[in-house]
Amino acid sequence: MDEAIRADELCKTYRVKVRDSGLAGALRALVRPRYRDVRALDRVSFGVAPGEIVAFLGPNGAGKTTALKILAGLLHPTSGRARVAGFEPWQGGPPFKRRIAIVLGNKQQLLWDLPAEETFLLNRAIYDVSMADYRERLDNLIDLLVLGEVIDKPVRQLSLGERMKCELVAALLHRPDILFLDEPTLGLDVAAQDTIRTFLKAYRDRYGATVLLTSHYMADVTALAQRVLIINRGRLLYDGELSALVARHARNKRLHLVLGDGVTAADLERFGDVREFAFPHATLEVAREEAPRVSAALLSAVSVVDLSIQDPPIEEVIRRAFEVGDDGGAAGDQDDAGATRIRDGASAP
Amino acid sequence: MTTLRSWLGRYGALVRTAWLVDIQYRAAIGLWLIWGVLEPLITLGIWWTIAGDGPVQGYERADFARYFFAVIVVNQVTIAWDAYYIDSWIRGGEMNHRLARPIGPIHEAIADNLAYKIRAVAVVTLVWGLVAIAWPAVRIPFEPGRWVLAALATLLAAAIRFLNGYATGLLAFWTTRATALVSLQYGVSMFLSGRIAPLSLLPPAVVSVSSVLWFPWMLAFPVELLTGTITSGRTIANGFAMQIVWTLAWAGLYMLVWRRGIRHYAAVGG
Repeated sequence: MDEAIRADELCKTYRVKVRDSGLAGALRALVRPRYRDVRALDRVSFGVAPGEIVAFLGPNGAGKTTALKILAGLLHPTSGRARVAGFEPWQGGPPFKRRIAIVLGNKQQLLWDLPAEETFLLNRAIYDVSMADYRERLDNLIDLLVLGEVIDKPVRQLSLGERMKCELVAALLHRPDILFLDEPTLGLDVAAQDTIRTFLKAYRDRYGATVLLTSHYMADVTALAQRVLIINRGRLLYDGELSALVARHARNKRLHLVLGDGVTAADLERFGDVREFAFPHATLEVAREEAPRVSAALLSAVSVVDLSIQDPPIEEVIRRAFEVGDDGGAAGDQDDAGATRIRDGASAP
Repeated sequence: MTTLRSWLGRYGALVRTAWLVDIQYRAAIGLWLIWGVLEPLITLGIWWTIAGDGPVQGYERADFARYFFAVIVVNQVTIAWDAYYIDSWIRGGEMNHRLARPIGPIHEAIADNLAYKIRAVAVVTLVWGLVAIAWPAVRIPFEPGRWVLAALATLLAAAIRFLNGYATGLLAFWTTRATALVSLQYGVSMFLSGRIAPLSLLPPAVVSVSSVLWFPWMLAFPVELLTGTITSGRTIANGFAMQIVWTLAWAGLYMLVWRRGIRHYAAVGG
């Protein structure tokens, strides 16, 4: 089957004006402007199958949003090729734009002073959706997003969560095949985040849409995407399953303890690395394979009220993956879990 | 047919939305309209006083009154503000969702212009009519043929000014000073487009320079056609020819800047 999204060796370089601070720096920049090239994307290649949900992960400025914008046709790459829904995105024109939607978590398309429904009606006309289809799709989306009676309230009076839900409605009324979502849950409370995650899965299941998203919230990623693309400084470091990434980089387990009276941090140190100690709570890190043995030893040696064993937070796993990628250390050599690849600027899978 | 119906639907929705937004900002829109009327009225006041001592190069008080009332109407049809929005969208990132739509952002600007201008022209024409009942000086001779030509010239003037402002605003793809260029052009147009005085009152050298630029064709030409200052068929034909040349020139520049600009776009923010 053809891929819904294909990126080959995508590069994007921004030319940035460099200026020293202060009045003298400003004057020097006027007389002799200096520029620096910033490579936002460096030979990034990957593919996404139809109906797949894939998450882009990376720190701020890693190149995630740039990649999304190139694939949505908003930006022209400096070099490289891409095909999205069979089109070259930046040359696709209206036929391409009818097939995709992009939602930018920190930039809204909703008309600020008017009820959200006015934006929906405008998009209905722009995308040439019949009134019957519009009504059916709107009811559907309102139902899936648990949107209730908010679409006739001015956008400026909506909560952040309600606004994001309305942004999704505005973006999906023309029923796109491919969704690009940049931080769709940014700043939302836990309940709103959960609704949006549930919605995105339901939308994909119902319409077979392909979703490429970026998020800072690991909960988005773990709930939505089996596959992740890790990008840092414009380079794709990892392309594969999230579970494989965790297995590879989470070499330790964490024992979360609720301690009985009189237990000190010193009592725990002989069992492993004490990461946190705030009596009666403590967190101990031990080698993955040692976790069962250490747990048993702990329970018999010290007073423990409660004990649970967990993987380290996914954020730490990702951070470790970045470090590995940056060092170029383990790049590309441990394909121990199917599609798992850690690499430093390697080519597409 | 379907395509035409689609486009009519899109423009209908865009104009309707612009009206709904304007209703939210009715006070600001009203003040803007008043400013658009006040500026020519103040200038008229100055010339009215000067002409009190006798005609100025053939212009009597009533000629100035007709001229500046015509300036008010033509200015409302040709007024251009789009550069300020484009500049802010490009630099603030609001251009992103507009680029993701299957219609170009220029259509939103055209619809926005239609929404404002239909209403503003209706208001100022009505006010002009009411003033003309009480003040014969501002009456325009009833010559339907001339009015049709003046309406056509006003539409072409609006096209030149719109495309000029839009193309200049698109320079925000490269520079943070696009709106400064628009303001600079506005300053020059005070003199060269006939906004501050009828062009025939300016030094001949200035008039001949301005006649090869786009400025007089954005305002003075339709105003003088409407007030009957221009009568020669040859001058009228030359005026329309220059308007067509500058409309095409700015349309070409718009397309060039747009095509290059979106390649250069850095999609600031989110």
